[in-house]
Amino acid sequence: MSLVAEAFVSQIAAAEPWPENATLYQQLKGEQILLSDNAASLAVQAFLQMCNLPIKVVCRANAEYMSPSGKVPFIHVGNQVVSELGPIVQFVKAKGHSLSDGLGEVQKAEMKAYMELVNNMLLTAELYLQWCDEATVGEITHARYGSPYPWPLNHILAYQKQWEVKRKMKAIGWGKKTLDQVLEDVDQCCQALSQRLGTQPYFFNKQPTELDALVFGHLYTILTTQLTNDELSEKIPLPDTW
Amino acid sequence: MVSQPAKILNFLRKQKYNADYELSAKQGADTLAYIALLEEKLLPAVLHTFWVESDNYFTVTKPWFASQIPFPLSLILPGRMSKGALNRILLTRGQPPLYHLREVEAQIYRDAKECLNLLSNRLGTSQFFFGDTPSTLDAYVFGFLAPLYKVRFPKVQLQEHLKQLSNLCRFCDDILSSYFRLSLGGISPAGQETVDANLQKLTQLVNKESNLIEKMDDNLRQSPQLPPRKLPTLKLTPAEEENNSFQRLSP
Repeated sequence: MSLVAEAFVSQIAAAEPWPENATLYQQLKGEQILLSDNAASLAVQAFLQMCNLPIKVVCRANAEYMSPSGKVPFIHVGNQVVSELGPIVQFVKAKGHSLSDGLGEVQKAEMKAYMELVNNMLLTAELYLQWCDEATVGEITHARYGSPYPWPLNHILAYQKQWEVKRKMKAIGWGKKTLDQVLEDVDQCCQALSQRLGTQPYFFNKQPTELDALVFGHLYTILTTQLTNDELSEKIPLPDTW
Repeated sequence: MVSQPAKILNFLRKQKYNADYELSAKQGADTLAYIALLEEKLLPAVLHTFWVESDNYFTVTKPWFASQIPFPLSLILPGRMSKGALNRILLTRGQPPLYHLREVEAQIYRDAKECLNLLSNRLGTSQFFFGDTPSTLDAYVFGFLAPLYKVRFPKVQLQEHLKQLSNLCRFCDDILSSYFRLSLGGISPAGQETVDANLQKLTQLVNKESNLIEKMDDNLRQSPQLPPRKLPTLKLTPAEEENNSFQRLSP
């Protein structure tokens, strides 16, 4: 969203309380949704639960195209539509609910840094695995991504998306990485998160924050999704807090 | 051959050079997180300031870069890097299906300013990010901040913001003076002495020469013409070399 639109939305958001009929849109759960989108969606759901805000999950095949930024999930609250965890957190904050108000400046900086770490490493690794690893692409991704559409649209859309993702990977330098290097990065990331969590129940002591929601979304999805190779889920040391 | 900071750091670590011995495991994790933050929030804006903003690119970055690489690469490489930077910014930040720079610019500068504020909050009043000894994170942050801080650009909005965060500026200055041995004001004290000595020698020589010239004038009519005398040239002393290399740093 452009800056002006964001400011406008915040203004309006502040005016009304959270309605009962807020809905979250994602792709079809059983057949269409992919690993990375599922993780993002779960993260948002977890965050809203932590804020005690009611939300209904609706599955639509064209959720990606309905979203204002092209990414899922997005929430429809009142007459506003907000997508992705970052803007949703801000939107919820404008309505007066926040999980990170109690944190000091340094802790807020740390929280933002760790969220970026998860986005940078885990999300990119998930995207890589889904779209750049030939085995997974052939067996799972193509079939799932295009499943609601008739031939030849399903193939065209899947190839288009794959091309887009590969372009992005190349731009950030992940194009040349092998699967092993990617898994090594995931390993490093998980170790860092594990170090940071230590033996506490949540990342910032007693209260859950958006970081906890984000990490939960990703880890749960990775642990419970069946892929062609299980190496990604093996990288996560079994946490005893979830 | 090793390129890219992360790979270089890994390589050095395998060679047993490590700046992070003193850090606890949690601080190591924090390092990774902050590096990710820098790459995600600050890097697009830095890339934009150096390579995409046309004023900056054509007046500063391109000539500077091109002066250090041989022809004909100097014609090709800067252009390619500029396109790569633009690509990276648009692909990671642009909203499909329209990849427009204008919309993205405001967002990336806002993110970068927020990131600088976060770094400043984290640094606080301590000398380095993890206490009194520098670590990998300090090196990373310095790598991003120092060019932003020091290079003179025509379009400077991010630089202005950085200069308002005094602890980050102090951080850069500290590292520059302790690890890069070029002082920021002018020539170092040892250099100043040699320059003075050279000036003295030069003055003496000039005086001698002027005396000689007077005598030559007197003798010129009587004796055959002497071959022209050259003034002895001064060898480049370290101070002058330092001057030259300092000028090379700031275009």
